[in-house]
Amino acid sequence: MLTQLSTFFRYSVNSLLRRKLRSLITIAGVASAVAVLYSLLAFQRGYQLGLSRELEKLGAHLLVVPKGCPYDAASIALHGANWPCYLPSKYLTMVTQTQHVAEAAPVLMTAFYDDATQSSRVYCGVLPNILALKKQWTITGSFPKTGEALTGMDIASKNHWTVGQTVKMADIQTPVKISGILNNTQGPDDQFVFIPLGDAQTDFKHADQFTHILVKLDHPDHLEEVVRSLRGCEAGLEMNIVPLAHVFKTIQGLISSTRLLLACVTLAALFAAAIGLSNTVFMSVTERTREIGVLRAMGTERSNIFALVWMETLIMSLIGAAVGLLGATLFEGLVETWLRARLPFVPNGPLMSYEWTIALLAIAAAAIIGGLAGLAPSMRAAGLSPVEAIRRAEGGV
Amino acid sequence: MQPSDQPVVQANKLVKSYPRGSEIVHAVVDIDVEIQQGEYVAIVGASGSGKTTLLQLLGGMDRPTSGTISIAGKEISKLSDRELTRLRREQLGFVFQHFGLLSTLTVAENVALPAILNHKPNHSRVDELLERTGIIHRRNHRPSELSGGEMQRVAIARALINEPKLLLADEPTGNLDSATSERILELIGELNKDGLTIVVVTHNEKLAQCAHRIIQLSDGRIVNTA
Repeated sequence: MLTQLSTFFRYSVNSLLRRKLRSLITIAGVASAVAVLYSLLAFQRGYQLGLSRELEKLGAHLLVVPKGCPYDAASIALHGANWPCYLPSKYLTMVTQTQHVAEAAPVLMTAFYDDATQSSRVYCGVLPNILALKKQWTITGSFPKTGEALTGMDIASKNHWTVGQTVKMADIQTPVKISGILNNTQGPDDQFVFIPLGDAQTDFKHADQFTHILVKLDHPDHLEEVVRSLRGCEAGLEMNIVPLAHVFKTIQGLISSTRLLLACVTLAALFAAAIGLSNTVFMSVTERTREIGVLRAMGTERSNIFALVWMETLIMSLIGAAVGLLGATLFEGLVETWLRARLPFVPNGPLMSYEWTIALLAIAAAAIIGGLAGLAPSMRAAGLSPVEAIRRAEGGV
Repeated sequence: MQPSDQPVVQANKLVKSYPRGSEIVHAVVDIDVEIQQGEYVAIVGASGSGKTTLLQLLGGMDRPTSGTISIAGKEISKLSDRELTRLRREQLGFVFQHFGLLSTLTVAENVALPAILNHKPNHSRVDELLERTGIIHRRNHRPSELSGGEMQRVAIARALINEPKLLLADEPTGNLDSATSERILELIGELNKDGLTIVVVTHNEKLAQCAHRIIQLSDGRIVNTA
């Protein structure tokens, strides 16, 4: 059995080598389709992971934001920017007093555009209770008191700030002392400057206001109940209650058109690859009609003829899959740059997640496409009778 | 091989017709033939006389329109496609005018293939047959590297690998020059002397004259048996 299988395999490989260019073009078609599929799946996975990682880093189950577009607000809270409207401080009490709210951390976020670096500097006025939400934070130094600042690692490194140093920040009137630097969070916090909420309200002239409240529940199961309570409270009409799970779904929805476009391209590529494969194998069967006739005359079972031809299709599919995976991995950077430029919201960190399970899925898809594309030519080859095949190859009766 | 009373092939009232456009072609008409074990039979006739069709019928490659054929004691109309395929693989050996070697396999692999298909690979027999047909030195060559005579020797070795009861050869010297044909003729003669039953379709007079019996066909009918 093993000898038979290895002979069939060698025969199939050699048959493909007979028409090298044709086989190469067919394999390239499969490789392109697999590369697109692999990139789409890696993007899908990478985007989901990136987004959920980013939402998780907020450390909250709910986001309370001023009236307006709640998802714009969520996006601002995630990446940092200027807010168009504010929440009065008194709302914090209502939120805090709601049953099942374990922690409510108010934030006053302000951003200033720096022409020199052509980037925004984001300040977050916070209370010490933010530490209850940001469990993943580790601070070199301490949480800031009045006149002090805690900075993200990237911004500190860019400005050469060190713990204990007193610095003059362009957007704050009085110099501040760097009380601590966050260890790398691999998130937007690395770019932010955290100062006490009172200082932020004074410096940025928003007394008794903040931009959003990060809310942590005593248990995620109480989410709907808390959302209902907050929406029904006195300030319910003046604020938006945004569960972060909904933010996840909504942001995912925002990229659905890009995903749909990529899915269409993938389907078209897979379809084209299947047609290419089928056509190549059909041609190969036609060219080898006499050979198939001889094989049948020698006593080769129809099932073996089917297996021989089908194996050729599978070999091309699998080689195509391997080349496609390699290509997608090599050109990962290009694909990521292209996608980043076209998406309305992109989480920090890698956008593509190339995992072995996804690679296996892409290989399986290639095998299925190859298997299906090879069915018709394999059946045609297996259906030839020895006499018919020899007669047809000789061009007559 | 021990002679036996039962004929290797027995055909009665054999008819093979097939459509060609709007007309029906009668390739073989009303043929009765019996081939005994150890016999060497040549089928001769003009082009289109039905020689190859008869050979294909006798070799179980095709089924008759009417009439019966028994090969190695088995009535082929009663066999399924799978059983007929098995019968060809186990009991018959074929040699074609165009050699029919698989260009992607080596000489040894070509010879071994029917045995592999029969789930009985036997490397020593491959070498033995290549030795016998005088082609052992080309063992690892591809068919494209061989001369016509060498290819036909490989084809004969391949036909013998499963120790068939009957060797069927369709114009085995048709594509060869006279000197090469002579050597193939000698080889076929030797195989027959060793007891192998052989049926050859040929235009080659020398090949036909070596046969024990010559069946002459014309328009699908036997017109002479000598």
